[in-house]
Amino acid sequence: MKFFDCNASFGTSMIRPIRFAESAQELLNEMDYYGISEALVYHARQRDDSPLVGNEILLKEINGLDRLHGTFAILPLQTGELGSLEVISQRMKAANVRAFWAYPAEHKYLMTRTALDPLYDLMVERQIPLFISVNESCGGISGWYLIENILSEAEDLTLVVTEHGSWGHDRFFRPLVEKYENLYLDISRYELDGGISDFCGKYGADRLLFGTGFPKWNPGCSILTLTHADITTKEREMIASGNLESMLRRVRL
Amino acid sequence: MNPSPLIKEFLEKGRSESCPIIDMHAHLGPYQGIYFPNPSPEDMVRTMDRCGVRMIVSSSHASLIDTRANYEMAKVVKKYPSRFKAYWVINPNYPERMQRDIANFPDMEGFVGFKFLSDYHKYPITSPRYEPALKYADQHRLLVLMHTWGESRYDSPALVEKLATRYPNVTFLMGHSGYGEWEKSIQIGRDYPNVYLELTAAYAVNGVIDWMVEEAGSEKIVFGTDLPWFDPHYGIGCVLFSRISDEDRHDILHRNAEGLLKPYL
Repeated sequence: MKFFDCNASFGTSMIRPIRFAESAQELLNEMDYYGISEALVYHARQRDDSPLVGNEILLKEINGLDRLHGTFAILPLQTGELGSLEVISQRMKAANVRAFWAYPAEHKYLMTRTALDPLYDLMVERQIPLFISVNESCGGISGWYLIENILSEAEDLTLVVTEHGSWGHDRFFRPLVEKYENLYLDISRYELDGGISDFCGKYGADRLLFGTGFPKWNPGCSILTLTHADITTKEREMIASGNLESMLRRVRL
Repeated sequence: MNPSPLIKEFLEKGRSESCPIIDMHAHLGPYQGIYFPNPSPEDMVRTMDRCGVRMIVSSSHASLIDTRANYEMAKVVKKYPSRFKAYWVINPNYPERMQRDIANFPDMEGFVGFKFLSDYHKYPITSPRYEPALKYADQHRLLVLMHTWGESRYDSPALVEKLATRYPNVTFLMGHSGYGEWEKSIQIGRDYPNVYLELTAAYAVNGVIDWMVEEAGSEKIVFGTDLPWFDPHYGIGCVLFSRISDEDRHDILHRNAEGLLKPYL
């Protein structure tokens, strides 16, 4: 089965993880150890530094590495740091970047239409997915309340929520999954016994994406859980790689 | 790809004949803050079969709240004697019940010791309220599974260290391995023969199992899942893919538990 990781990172971060990959090549070595074919990646500096710095570091690091697919960290366009919408679009097309990450707590902005209007429109129009950890916060709101806030203002946005936590999040996210059809979850922390099969039985397999959360989390967790989840082979393959491949194919750069 | 035969076997079959898992940290039944698809004893046995888990040691969720529910847990142990063992939950908020519970403990077949949940019960594990249970456990060489969490005022690794010295005949299982305060937890696991690191939730932290094995040794680590919380394959996958030997994996996943449970098997 092909694994395509939707949530992996490399590079030196401010807080040292116990184990991490310093370079893109080291990340590829890690992926080989786990049997992961491809990954949608961000560099730690995209989160811990200015996106202005981090986005360029990422592109330089993964240049020529076909198994690693880049993402851009976003900022509100009003400060002009990332350039105009046209500049961002051209840069993404040139580097084949097909997804965004948002780190509103670290980069200090509001996840609202007021702050992100033109970017939200770009994402919706070109079907570019936005990734965000449920542990993010901004403007005094956090967690699933923040996620619902984003979706209530941009219902057609393709939003991938990562790291949804192991301590019982189904009561939070299932109402949102039912209401917002473009909401996806990565399974890096979906460790609930029977959770994946129960979710697929109710909502189908197309809303879940294989993710590891590397380097913070051990990729072995989600690999063995998905490999033996009580679902069909087709559903397993959709989660392992098919759903992410389809999502990235839909993007119009 | 990692060449371990054990990894290959688990990836292909989801279980291993040579590595029958023993889960030293489990629960039972529904609980307040989480939806469980598989909370009943029958559900749990089905999960155990799917994942190659031979035996689990549980404290029911109900007994974490009301210790009278320990008697319901005893019925499950009696119904599935080869699959379930149990911890008797001690709730320091009801000391008058504790005395009676301890007096009844010798009659409770299949119970291997006590369970403390201090972060939730809001008494530090060093509180005099726990003394009757700890003295009894010391006298009878029982296991005590404690929820432990880094920097907690109720059950931090430093507090475990105090008990390890005070009650040398108790085998302390540090539930969640003092999550987050890894360096201190590993030091205690290494330095005290009567303290074991228990992996529930901790296993997911990338690299922490390698660190534990390197510093404390694989013979001081036991496996747990909080079942019905966490899919055993999630934790097993972490142990399998850690940078340790297959011998270490066997120690963690069943051998150490077999040694600890020998008097009860």
